[in-house]
This record gives sequence, C-alpha cells and structure tokens, in this order.
Amino acid sequence: MVRPEKATLTDRDPQERQRQGSELNEAEAIERAKQGDAQAFQALYDKHKRRVYSLCLRMTANTAEAEDLTQEAFLQLYRKIATFRGESAFSTWLHRLSVNVVLMHLRKKSLPVVSLEETTQGGEEDTPKKDFGAEDLALAGSIDRLHLQKAVDDLPPGYRTIFVLHDVEGYEHNEIATIVGCSIGNSKSQLHKARMKLRDLLKLNRAEKAGKS
Amino acid sequence: MNCVELQESLAEIEDGSRADQRAHLKTCAECSALVADLNLIASSAIDLREAEEPSPRVWNSIEIAVRQLEAELNLIASSAIELREAEEPSPRVWNSIEIALRQEGLIRPPRSSRSLLPSLSSRWAWARWMVPAAAVLLIAVGVYVRQHSLAQQLATDLATHPASAAVSDVAIAGLNDDDLLQEVSEQTPAMKAQYADNLRSVNEYIQDAKGNVDANPNDEEARRSLLEAYQEKAMLFELAMDRTQP
Repeated sequence: MVRPEKATLTDRDPQERQRQGSELNEAEAIERAKQGDAQAFQALYDKHKRRVYSLCLRMTANTAEAEDLTQEAFLQLYRKIATFRGESAFSTWLHRLSVNVVLMHLRKKSLPVVSLEETTQGGEEDTPKKDFGAEDLALAGSIDRLHLQKAVDDLPPGYRTIFVLHDVEGYEHNEIATIVGCSIGNSKSQLHKARMKLRDLLKLNRAEKAGKS
Repeated sequence: MNCVELQESLAEIEDGSRADQRAHLKTCAECSALVADLNLIASSAIDLREAEEPSPRVWNSIEIAVRQLEAELNLIASSAIELREAEEPSPRVWNSIEIALRQEGLIRPPRSSRSLLPSLSSRWAWARWMVPAAAVLLIAVGVYVRQHSLAQQLATDLATHPASAAVSDVAIAGLNDDDLLQEVSEQTPAMKAQYADNLRSVNEYIQDAKGNVDANPNDEEARRSLLEAYQEKAMLFELAMDRTQP
C-alpha cells in the first residue's frame, strides 16, 4: 500500500493544533487520517478528545484508567478508521467504539457492566429507600455539576454504566440493551435505581454541607 | 396508587406523566419532589458529557504508540516483500502444469532432435552439422584475413590459397545452395522464392566483396566487407535450417 507522505507527529501546542484542526473540514480530516496523515488524526483527536475522555472518566470514575482508555480508544480509532464508511456520523461511530473499549475494560476487571442485583432480582439493598419519617431536603431546582460528578463516581459500576450511557451520553434503552447485553426492561430499571441512588447521594452531600455550615 | 407504587412505576414512565401517576403526584408533595429531583438529575447529566479535558500526556502517549505502530507496520511491510520469491515450488508443480497443458493441446511434446548437438539420424543432419561448421570456418577465415594485414602476404595467400575461394568452396561443398532451396521448398514452399532471392543477393554481395579484395588487397574495409558477406550467407543457412525443422 502506498501512503501519501505523512505529516510529522510533532509536539505542537494543542491550541495551535485545534486552530489547524478547525481549518480542516472533518470529512477531509477523516479521509486524510484514513491515508495515515498524522496531522489529520491530531485534528480528529482535538475535536473529540473531551467527549471521549469524559465518557471514560464517568464510566470508570478513575483518572488514570480514563486516560489509558482514552488512549486505547484513539489507538483503536487509528487502526480502524479505514473501516469507517460514513453510514453514521463520525462522532457516533467513535463514541460507540469508545464505549466498547470501556465496557471491554470493565469486563476484564470483572466489574459488573450491569448490576448483579438485577440478575438476582429482589435484592433491594442498593435501592434507595424512601424514609418518610426523615426530613426531606429537596434538591431545590439545581444541581452543582461537580457534586453530580462526584455522586456519579460514587455509583456502583453497574448503575453508573447505564446512567452514563442513557442520561449523559444520550443512548436509548434499546441501544443500551444491545451494547451492554441486557434486556430493555433491565436497562430501564437500572436507570431508575441509579437516579434514585444519585438523589440520595446528592441529598446526603447537601445535608453534610448544611451540617458543616 | 400509593407512594411505593408510584416509585416502581417511574422505572417505566420516568417523568410521571401517566394519568394515575399524575393523580398521585397532585396529592403527594414528597413524590412530586422526588419526580422533580429525578427529572433534574436527568437534565443535569448532559452537563457531564464534555466536562473533562484529558491531560496532554494522553496525546503524548497516543503519539508514541502511533509511532511504534507505524514502525511495526513498516517493518512488517518491508519484511513481507522478502517473502515474495522466498519459496521454490516442487518440480511436481511444473510437471502437473505441463501434463495439463499437453492434454489440452496447448503445448507440443518436446522434439527428440532438439538437443544442442544435431542428431545424425535425421535426413538433413549433415546440413545441420555443416551450418555451425561453416560459421566457425568463416570466423576463422575472418580472423586470418585480419591478422595477415601485410599486403604482399595477403596478395600471395589470395593467389595461392584464396581465403574467399576456400570459404566459398567449403561452404558450397557443405551447403549447396540448391540443396538448401530444395529443403526449403519441401518444408516451407512459400518461403522458397524469398530464400532464392536472398541467396542471390548474398552471393552477389560476396562476389562484389571478393572483387574489391582482389583489386585492393591492402584495403581493410574491403576485407571486412568480404567477411561480413560470408557471415550473412552463413546466417541465411542457419535461418533456413531453423525454419525447416519441424
């Protein structure tokens, strides 16, 4: 295979790369990256890195793992970009590829991609209980992003996966069922429980803050 | 619907928009707050989508890994070329090909008389032996003529044992023009006229060259022309022999 002359991979300033990347039309960048053009690949990285890294970080709740997985996702992209035929949006395709990288990692770590509770049916230990006697501190119409982030990180891995895929990344339950390998009902149920758990965690956090002040 | 039933139903209808859910929510402030919170969590979640910027070391690692990958791929590609002609097929392969092509009539079986040395058993074997012999003789004469450049000596030689005459005699004794034409007319009659023409031309060329050498025994150019004329005739005989072979 004869490849066109490649741009050198240099340690250019990310902002400079971003500027050059934005000058490069995405479709053109994809085509050039398919030919092994390093500059075009950098442009794609700069454009999509935040989305991919955020996904990895949300699903693993671990910075080091998220960085490794982001790297792995973009290396997979480099290896597989020639197979991208434009049947879906590039961001959708890359995103799906990244999700698969993360899920593969979670499976290797033997972390439940879907909560074990769901498979045994009936264990409600993890499900937040409504304590009707306790003072109910409502979330009062706003959620601080950092607190939400922290609460998502504290979710059990199974809940976290479904919550991130549905509420953060915008996948539908049928898509999640396919990606994760569970039923649609299971996905819905876990999402609901994840939200309930998050509400508890956020309220707990708020109560702690109120107690301190 | 009570509070527990409402919570369970929220897994299916998340926003509490079903009629029985709405009816309960109108009368229950706690469940209304719950649904509002859940909706708030869902709507806030999208803020997490591109919230994080990876460290620059992520790209550095990707860059290094891509370089390594490229180097490995280049190594594989360059090594792969070495595999191109690395293997010799077994002789069986050619045997099978040959058999198949012969069966299909695409190639003819090898001729038994196609050895380097012409067979003595064939009808025109004597002529085939004489072609190379005549060629060797012609070349020898050429060398002889070139080496004996002293005019007097050459003149004497030509007078007593003229090289051209010797060559001509040998050639004619071994390869009579008529015999050759007869052979050509038997094997490839269409070519006979052309060969007769060519023979006539080359014989005239020889006669002219001989005349020049006789007239100017010191003339190098004339001697070279005579040698070339004989070489042409030998070539013509060789061609004829090749064409007339089956």
